[in-house]
Amino acid sequence: MSSELKPMLDGIFEVGPPPRLLGAHCPVCDQKFFPKPVVCPHCLGEVQGIDLSSEGTVYSYSILRIPNMMYKFPQPYASGYVDLDGDNIRVYGLFDPEKVSEIEIGKRVTLQVGQIGIGLDGKECLRYYFTPQDGGGK
Amino acid sequence: MRSVDIIGVGMTPFGKHEKTPLVEMGTRAAIEAIKDAGIKSSQINIGYFANMQAGNLTKEFTVGQAVMWGAGVNKVPVFNIENACTSGASATTLAWMSIASGQYDIAIVVGAEKLNVPFVPLLNPSMRDINVLEGNVVINGFAQRAVRHMHSFGTTKEQLAMVDVKNRRHASMNPLAMFYKKPVTLEEVLNTTMMADPLTKLSCCPNADGAAALVLCASELSSQYTTKPVHIKASVLVSGVFDEWPDMETFEEDQRASRIAYEKAGLGPEDVSVAECHDAFTICEVMHTENLGFCPIGEGGRFVESGATSLGGKIPMNVSGGLLGKGHPLGATACAQIVEGVRQLRGECGDRQVEGAKVFLAECMGAELRGDAKTCTVNILQK
Repeated sequence: MSSELKPMLDGIFEVGPPPRLLGAHCPVCDQKFFPKPVVCPHCLGEVQGIDLSSEGTVYSYSILRIPNMMYKFPQPYASGYVDLDGDNIRVYGLFDPEKVSEIEIGKRVTLQVGQIGIGLDGKECLRYYFTPQDGGGK
Repeated sequence: MRSVDIIGVGMTPFGKHEKTPLVEMGTRAAIEAIKDAGIKSSQINIGYFANMQAGNLTKEFTVGQAVMWGAGVNKVPVFNIENACTSGASATTLAWMSIASGQYDIAIVVGAEKLNVPFVPLLNPSMRDINVLEGNVVINGFAQRAVRHMHSFGTTKEQLAMVDVKNRRHASMNPLAMFYKKPVTLEEVLNTTMMADPLTKLSCCPNADGAAALVLCASELSSQYTTKPVHIKASVLVSGVFDEWPDMETFEEDQRASRIAYEKAGLGPEDVSVAECHDAFTICEVMHTENLGFCPIGEGGRFVESGATSLGGKIPMNVSGGLLGKGHPLGATACAQIVEGVRQLRGECGDRQVEGAKVFLAECMGAELRGDAKTCTVNILQK
């Protein structure tokens, strides 16, 4: 069923397997970006599309307990920032809705893609999220 | 650049005003400010109107001209300004620039907002923003900061709650505050509905309707109209960094804006008698206290617990009640902070007056992009 679902936005991630965040790299500034910008905002040069690391460490998180009906997110849901391994980039994303209580600062996480909530068109859609690594946490 | 004074202020009560249209609220604040300034409406050379959500919630646009005309201001240039929660301070910076540059002599700034409409969705800067699509509503960004602050600096949820207890106590002495005469206890703050850990319902400022207005005048002319001008020593607006490595333990924008403002004013944080900051959530005030230089980074929780930021303390913060106690009519908020500053420096604040107040600082912050504040303002006023 999930193969029929569309990503919440085009050009943000590859469904996989394995799922990947679609980032970019500026060879002049040696800076990575997510999502891919029009040009490198630092030098206005062209950027190259790259796959970003699918593993990282939780920098901070929030758990929203009240309903967020805008995109029909689960209640509660966790989201926050992850420092991606080796990319020198801190990205924002959802955390696994099934494992909200496992999220903590320093937790090792892996990128996943799955159906969470609805998209701009009001239909169920795919979102990226980070799931805690079993046993590999802090 | 010419020196600029604030010669008149006005403000409606903040709270629920379902039956009062946005334009009328703005006009009422403007009329009070014009009368307080001792000028005629026809003497105003330029006007700025600050609002954030009229286009969304009450489906109005170009509201400022209607607000101004209600207060007798027509023909002159009027600009409508939206810069999230800093809209009112952003408009003030523009008014200050208009006069300081020598282009105009007298300007009016009006901020107004109507949020009590039948349906107000969770606030977000853009439905199409990738982070919003991934669930990052406004409160999440501040919960992420609170979680990080507690982790790195040992700040406790009790210390965070003390911000609301303090600001509600301050608001209980402000007849214009939404929570006038309605203080809360620490237990009440900690035990209300959990919104986003560790932020409970009372850790979040309430939506409110309201308006506030300022009349600015070239200092060389202000003595013609008033015996109690308040000098604008600095009026600064900065934007965020937005790079790939957001830092959630500090407000870099606060540090940068206040550094510029202190330098322009020839003053430092030790000179400030009383301050207002953007306490949209309890964690915000803890961090602003640090990043504006009133206490070391990481010490904000212990600083509020010590009583230093209470009325009578070393640096009273949000004596008006702040956003938590006054309510948060977005476009009016940053103007209302400056109204409080003017009234504190004039010695007009009654029970909540900071004795001998000489220097006032207002900080405001608005919206988020890539983990940074989109906009941040610092205004410093002196008697």
